[in-house]
Amino acid sequence: MFETILYGFTIGAVLYLFSIGLSLTFGTMHIINFAHALVYTLGVYSFIGFRDALSLGFVPAMLIAVVAMVPLAWAIERFVIRRLYGERLDYAIIATYALLLIGTDLIKVVFGTLPQSINVPIHVSVNVAGVGISLYRIIIVLVAVLIFLGLRQFFRKTVVGQIVVAALEDNEGVRCLGINISTYFSIVFVIGSALAIIGGILYAPISTAEPYMGMHILLLAFSVVIVGGMGSLTGTFYASFALGMLMALVGRFWAGGANAAVFLTMALVIIYRHTIKPRLHRR
Amino acid sequence: MCTGGGGLAVIEVRDVSMGYNQALVLHDICLKVKQGEQVFIVGRNGAGKTSLLKTLAGLLKPHSGTVTFDGHDITGMPAEKVARRGLHFVAQDKVVFSSLSVRNNIALAAHAMKIDIDSAIRKAVEIYPKLEEFMELNAGNLSGGQREILLIGRAMIGDPKLLLIDEPTEGLAAKVIDDIFRILTSIKGTTSTIIVEQNLSVVTSLADRIYVMKEGKIIKEFDNKHACIEAAELEVYL
Repeated sequence: MFETILYGFTIGAVLYLFSIGLSLTFGTMHIINFAHALVYTLGVYSFIGFRDALSLGFVPAMLIAVVAMVPLAWAIERFVIRRLYGERLDYAIIATYALLLIGTDLIKVVFGTLPQSINVPIHVSVNVAGVGISLYRIIIVLVAVLIFLGLRQFFRKTVVGQIVVAALEDNEGVRCLGINISTYFSIVFVIGSALAIIGGILYAPISTAEPYMGMHILLLAFSVVIVGGMGSLTGTFYASFALGMLMALVGRFWAGGANAAVFLTMALVIIYRHTIKPRLHRR
Repeated sequence: MCTGGGGLAVIEVRDVSMGYNQALVLHDICLKVKQGEQVFIVGRNGAGKTSLLKTLAGLLKPHSGTVTFDGHDITGMPAEKVARRGLHFVAQDKVVFSSLSVRNNIALAAHAMKIDIDSAIRKAVEIYPKLEEFMELNAGNLSGGQREILLIGRAMIGDPKLLLIDEPTEGLAAKVIDDIFRILTSIKGTTSTIIVEQNLSVVTSLADRIYVMKEGKIIKEFDNKHACIEAAELEVYL
């Protein structure tokens, strides 16, 4: 059971690292960005590429992969996403989904379709109450928590962060102050992409790297964003861990039901927010 | 034919039409606001008053016509550029940046206008001294009236050449309306303003000129320099 709980935390941590970018993109730009999954997948493959080509260790290869992907993330925002500001939601879905499909096919051409396993960089177990738990998984959770705390400080204390928080609440209000929000959206987009790549690379040793890995997590991340509240920084954090834990617990007793439990929760939250909550407020 | 009389215009709107997709909501709007003038727009709901202010502020793009502000053509210019030129807009919904403190709400305006935070705060407090008490409070905890005052104070940072305010007294208690009335009185003559307002006693007391809008058009203009217009005269248009 202890392992199941830790697994839940690990899934939650990876979901958080992936979802935060998705949530911020939707909250600030009102764009549903399917291409987020492409950046996540490409990040993992570039990690493998740098690690093998330069014979690097896990952390240096990860840092180089993140830095290498920043121009790609910036280019997606600058040349695709920015053109979709203020457009209908379905345009953004079609454009970013097309980008995801094209990118996934390119990955298949370059790296092949076979899953690639990545060795866990730390093989140490920590003994807690007689149960050996993987230190690597604990580190993944700690990285997510530290990033959450760091982001919270960033959004509270820095001008860039405060502008993003303000834009989440009142996009037009920020523009009417004379602030060009697209510059700040680019920063947010790149930060979100970098965090997704970190999440992907940290998760890859536990799972495998394969061309569709981004698509698999994308649907779960949409559930996180909806349950946590679109654009909610804290909500995304708690929803990630709650749904990660739900997946782990349901998966322990019924492996096939883990994803279904997440989507069912999302459906219940939508029903509550749009049907039950307004009725309760009217009373 | 654009009206508004002679004198140096801060803003001149000529034949502006604007719509959402195919449906036009503004038809050939012409208006002019002179230096230091306080101009009010009245009209029924759906007359196009908010759409007009949003078009002038750069939040909506006109289909045709021109907007000349401070001698420059700003037609279709994005809101952030319009604001940096000195045309500030206070929206109707009283939405402040609720998770930021009052101080940080003002600080963002100071950052945008490239002025230091302390002088921005002094400016906001000068407009409404009570604001100092709320400085460290989350703006989300303010009442509707306090939010409106914060929004006006925030918009005054950087000394705008023209201030657009949409329904400043809407839904507010009489006491707060008095506060807003005092603020509008204090900026009258120094900052040019266009105010959309339904409270006719406020309109007739403060307006230099009044435009009446109906179905996306300006149908009437009143000169009120000597406060000679009675609320009853305007009531028929609401």
